[in-house]
Amino acid sequence: MRQSLAIRLLDNDWAGPGLISLMAIAVISILQPAFLSPFNILVLLSAIAVNMVVALGQLVIIGVGQMNLALGALGGLVAICFVGAIEVLGVPAPLAIVLGLLIGIVAGMANGVIIARTGISAFIITLASLQIFKGINLGITKAQPFYGVPDSVKQFGNTAVFGSIPWLILPAVLGAFCLWYLFRHLRIGRYILALGGNRQAAELSGIDTTGTVIWAHALSGLFAAAAGMMLVARLQIGQPTIGDDWLISSFAAPVIGGASLSGGHVSVAGTFFGVVIIAIITQALVLFSIDPFVVQIVLGGLILWAVGINRFREWRLSKLAIQGA
Amino acid sequence: MASILEIRHVSKSFPGVKALDDVSISLAAGSVHALLGENGAGKSTLIKIITGVQAPDAGEVLFDGASMRFSKPREAGACGIGVVHQERNLVMRFSVAENIMLDRLGAHSLSRVDHTAIADEAVRWLKMLDLDIDPGTPVSRLSVAQMQLVEIGKALSLRSRVLLLDEPTASLTPNESAALFAIIRKLKADGVAILFVSHKLEEVFGICDTVTVLRDGRNVCDSVPLAGLNRQDVVKMMIGRAEQLARRAPRSKPAASPLLELRGYSSDAGHRDVNLTVRPGEIVGLYGLVGAGRSELAKSVLGLSRQTGGEVLLNGQAVHITSVASALHHHGIGYVSEDRKGEGLILLHSVLDNAGITIWQRLASRFGLLHDATVAREVGPVIAKLEVKTPSLQQTIGNLSGGNQQKVSVAKWIAAGVKLLIIDEPSVGIDIKTKAYLHDLIHELAGRGTAILLITSDMPEMVDVADRILVMDRFRIKGEVENDRVYERVSQAIMTFIHDRKAA
Repeated sequence: MRQSLAIRLLDNDWAGPGLISLMAIAVISILQPAFLSPFNILVLLSAIAVNMVVALGQLVIIGVGQMNLALGALGGLVAICFVGAIEVLGVPAPLAIVLGLLIGIVAGMANGVIIARTGISAFIITLASLQIFKGINLGITKAQPFYGVPDSVKQFGNTAVFGSIPWLILPAVLGAFCLWYLFRHLRIGRYILALGGNRQAAELSGIDTTGTVIWAHALSGLFAAAAGMMLVARLQIGQPTIGDDWLISSFAAPVIGGASLSGGHVSVAGTFFGVVIIAIITQALVLFSIDPFVVQIVLGGLILWAVGINRFREWRLSKLAIQGA
Repeated sequence: MASILEIRHVSKSFPGVKALDDVSISLAAGSVHALLGENGAGKSTLIKIITGVQAPDAGEVLFDGASMRFSKPREAGACGIGVVHQERNLVMRFSVAENIMLDRLGAHSLSRVDHTAIADEAVRWLKMLDLDIDPGTPVSRLSVAQMQLVEIGKALSLRSRVLLLDEPTASLTPNESAALFAIIRKLKADGVAILFVSHKLEEVFGICDTVTVLRDGRNVCDSVPLAGLNRQDVVKMMIGRAEQLARRAPRSKPAASPLLELRGYSSDAGHRDVNLTVRPGEIVGLYGLVGAGRSELAKSVLGLSRQTGGEVLLNGQAVHITSVASALHHHGIGYVSEDRKGEGLILLHSVLDNAGITIWQRLASRFGLLHDATVAREVGPVIAKLEVKTPSLQQTIGNLSGGNQQKVSVAKWIAAGVKLLIIDEPSVGIDIKTKAYLHDLIHELAGRGTAILLITSDMPEMVDVADRILVMDRFRIKGEVENDRVYERVSQAIMTFIHDRKAA
């Protein structure tokens, strides 16, 4: 079947957001050459790196057809546990990182176990665990930051590995590649997408749905933990408020990147461009001293636009199925 | 011949209905076994028990002579029982190969999926089915018939010794069906035991060796050779004469001008050139097999899918109904859904809320205020008149029996005072007494001038209730049968229209 170029591009998850990213970069750098200064690029890439890991944490759960509202609360909890372990307990930084990742995995698994075993919607369960994680966070910190971030960690969060490429890019690239590989080539990744794509078919085919849901939430917890600690490195402080503002962008980036909120279809590359678009919009605010409300409106509009495009593609897919083309 | 799978004296009850009562069946290697029965006879429940989706209350399942108790579909699959369900169970965005091998993508969670090996394995089964498609194709790109074959391939790839096919030809063209039968014969020659569920008797007589007929959850016959039987025998067994309903005299023909008229109607859902009239006080039956497009027509008229051609006239006026709300509030059309639990009722809400939902808009005050007492004044008498057995109007409707739930589904439209009531499969999952009551009720409503469009696959019900019967097949009206309530003549006439595919 012959299709127009526009349609073929639309079929590609990352093409649309990629094009928009490039256009936005071009327009902004013409209007404001400072946008492409080495320092600004470093700042931009650092923000993209952290937000990418946050978005990946949500992407796994979107893939299985659920939502994780506790992503930010868990990231924040891990962040303060990480600094707290170093400052209060004197744990060496590498060990504290491992500890942080473990907390993320275990807390994520707890979410997954409760959701899979009770059959209660992930929305409710993670809404509850959001409160619990946040409560533990405030109980530990009394809402005061931990300041004992080691220099090595501070450096990791604020220096460049090469030119304008921050060290923070490293975990983001690694995480993105691993998740892409998982969705594409590993059994668990295919099961997550099969479950999100058609729960009944997955179940009747003998897929262990409980185990798959637990896996997805454990992975989500892992990414939340990594993002929390990356933010500690970048902010150079163990803020109890880390993660409070992740919710909207964690959904926005995957959706702009073509993910279907009903599950079964995600794009890591698309999510990357989603993150880039959000970062550029936020940066433009600073560069052109635009009112913050405009950014929010633009971001909201962008989400609507992305959902509309996704809807159109799903509609087309179902039409194709009926025609049996 | 040795039987591979034997079901002995199995019973299964659901709240308010006994789905299976002492049912037995035995499947032999290298033979095709037909499982027949009307809607609600218990076929699906039997299949669910064989495949481990549901556990029987009593009785046993023997596989190769050993007693089995499957608690998950996976366990039945591991034993070599493959099943192709009536509804499609494929992951649309996945490739053909991945769908066939879905439960065998790797040894453990972090195994790398060997796409080449999976494609090779899938091709083996695709070849066996003479299906020439690239195993890498996403399933969403396939035709319905191809999807069906992929599911059969998936079942076969488990090295199934028993293959259950639930209405496999429901969505196939005659050519595709013929190809499927060739494959079934090949599998039979290879020693597979096949259970074939179908409404189409000519197919059953074409390929099946033995037959089991269920009626009202019981065996009418258990694994008897088909050779000694003819069509009439089988139809008689399926329909039965036991719970013969009181035969009504044909009603006088209402002379009023049509309330609803469709002229050359076609819709987005797939209807073509549908002509239909319903007069006030008339009960028009719409008969057809599952998937013929009857419920879709009802929903389409209500505005749930787009009209693409023809005319809809209400009281002689051309109208264009675009939403269910306007169908009810402006045109007085109500619809009792066949899916009572999914579409008809809000199970967690009270009887009052379920019965009153249609009149909230009318009863609400100018500021949108609505009092339970106001609704109860209107709804109460209807609930009482229909003899709904409920402790109070506040009772959660999910706790009532199927029959009483169905009465409430009808009550809400009576309360709304609709002029046209479309009733879709009124007696699915309800007891015989309530069924008879509902039939009386439909007649009473018609007697008071309501136009009724009755959709049912239950032939005795159709013959008992309708004044005249339109036969639908593949989203078209195939013909009309005047109902003189002589069962043999009417059912024969209906079947002739449905089987008249080649001529059409």
